[in-house]
Amino acid sequence: MNATPKNAADDLADVERVLAGDVRAFEGIVRRWQGSLLNMAWRYCRDRERAEEMAQEAFLRAWRGLGQWRRDGSFSTWLFALAANVFRSELKRFPTVTVPLEAAPEPSGAASQLNALQERSLHDVLRRAVLALPLRYREPVILFYFHEMDVAQAAATLRMPEGTLKARLSRARALLRRRFPHLEAEQAAMAFCRKTEKEA
Amino acid sequence: MKREPIDEILATEEELIPSSGFLPSVMERVQEAAAAPPPIPFPWLRAVPGMVVAAVVLGGGAVELVRLAIPAMKGLALNPPHLSAAVAQPLEQAGWVALALAASLLSWLLSRRLAGSSGL
Repeated sequence: MNATPKNAADDLADVERVLAGDVRAFEGIVRRWQGSLLNMAWRYCRDRERAEEMAQEAFLRAWRGLGQWRRDGSFSTWLFALAANVFRSELKRFPTVTVPLEAAPEPSGAASQLNALQERSLHDVLRRAVLALPLRYREPVILFYFHEMDVAQAAATLRMPEGTLKARLSRARALLRRRFPHLEAEQAAMAFCRKTEKEA
Repeated sequence: MKREPIDEILATEEELIPSSGFLPSVMERVQEAAAAPPPIPFPWLRAVPGMVVAAVVLGGGAVELVRLAIPAMKGLALNPPHLSAAVAQPLEQAGWVALALAASLLSWLLSRRLAGSSGL
């Protein structure tokens, strides 16, 4: 999902061709960024079908707004910022069905009984709980992990100062920790189980 | 930055692969948008004179209304109106008619709603 120099050069060339009237050149852009945009959309809604629709809409808006990309910033940052706007407004129009953060169940049970399925379920519940965070905390979390924990990139995508993003991330983590107080212990227990299973 | 369990979980997410039809369907929508005629611009040249005339008429009307209403309000404050029986009776009847119309409208809306929810 990070822009390599080759990608950047290809993006620039394709954008120039599209702006010159070659619509088919846009295919190169879609081919390079479809995975990233789909995964980003997925993190916003956690619904595969809807994520594809949202990513498609983002590409269409990108095609319409290509002329607005200023060459001083990277194409990927511009594309992700535009996509974040599209996803945000799509979710405002048709919100995802989420349970309130307080109602998100925390899988419980003796740590030793937790198996791979439960671990997966715990992870899934936590990821879905992100969707129940207030939008101002939810988006920094989504984009921070989407950008492989790069604060600068996430802040650039959201067009907010890095300090604000860090503060919101910290608050979001505090909310999630409060909701999942045993997470650390369960993670440690699961790691222990995995280790003993391997040794056995 | 110290990685917490939350970081571990949220950062290790399985990547989705776009379906085979995703790229063609994006390009189809882009081609459609490219082939569509450009939106018709708003006809400002034709609309502006009409808008100016409407604004003048509405503004003049409002000024005239205020100009006439002030002396009338003063007169009303000095001599509160007394409705004669000849005027009061038709007014009462008009009230009943309005109530009947409102009841009809309400029952029509209710029946539409019920028919809508039952799929009729």
